[in-house]
Amino acid sequence: MVPDKDLTIVFRSSPRLLGDVRAMIRSYLCNQGLDEDKIQEVVLAVDEACTNSIRHAYTGQEDKKLELSMNSGDGWIELELCDSGIPAPYDRVKRKSDEAIAAEVLTPGGLGMHLIYNVFDDVTFTPGEAEGNTIMMRLRCA
Amino acid sequence: MALELSQVEQDGHCIVMAKGEIDLYSSPQLREAILKACKATKGKVGVNLSEVAYMDSSGVATLVEGLQASGGADSFLLLAPSPSVLKVLQLSRLDSVFSIVETL
Repeated sequence: MVPDKDLTIVFRSSPRLLGDVRAMIRSYLCNQGLDEDKIQEVVLAVDEACTNSIRHAYTGQEDKKLELSMNSGDGWIELELCDSGIPAPYDRVKRKSDEAIAAEVLTPGGLGMHLIYNVFDDVTFTPGEAEGNTIMMRLRCA
Repeated sequence: MALELSQVEQDGHCIVMAKGEIDLYSSPQLREAILKACKATKGKVGVNLSEVAYMDSSGVATLVEGLQASGGADSFLLLAPSPSVLKVLQLSRLDSVFSIVETL
């Protein structure tokens, strides 16, 4: 079967691995014609998505599965992260104002979602009916 | 890249030196170092971030916690933050919350 994404990595939900995952995302983005500034932002935002899955969907359990797909085409770079943990409540993943975030900066996960929305052109967060979350993060590129 | 932390006393103030990457894995170590510095000094607490190659929102939350633990922006300073630290503070719209200086 031909994969429908350029690159997919499957990794354990261990914070220790996040540095390796960031290095792989960076490596993929370096070949997509983005400038260093944007690469830094995208790496950060995807790392935030992984962090949220580990902390909230998997409540810190380190032996669960995360799957990150990267793809590009039609003027878009797309990164999609899937977990099979606890579906996020809508209020935690919806887009909020800068003021709301400043007021609740220590609320777990809130700042990470804010960064994701600020970096990408299009973000779709889909909590599963019974379990799991999918977050599609899309960046328009030249 | 791991996170290396050390503590330096200077004129009655306490500086936490951070070097490496601050993320979900390493931010608990930074938190511990900052809270220890807050207890150790009656002066100001500075966190030197000049050699931090990467920081995410768990690092930002840790710094906000330090800000609260030390009593506010007059007594908690971010020293010479690297460009990647500045970027995450700006993206978080929190750069104005902190006192950012080159030296203590």
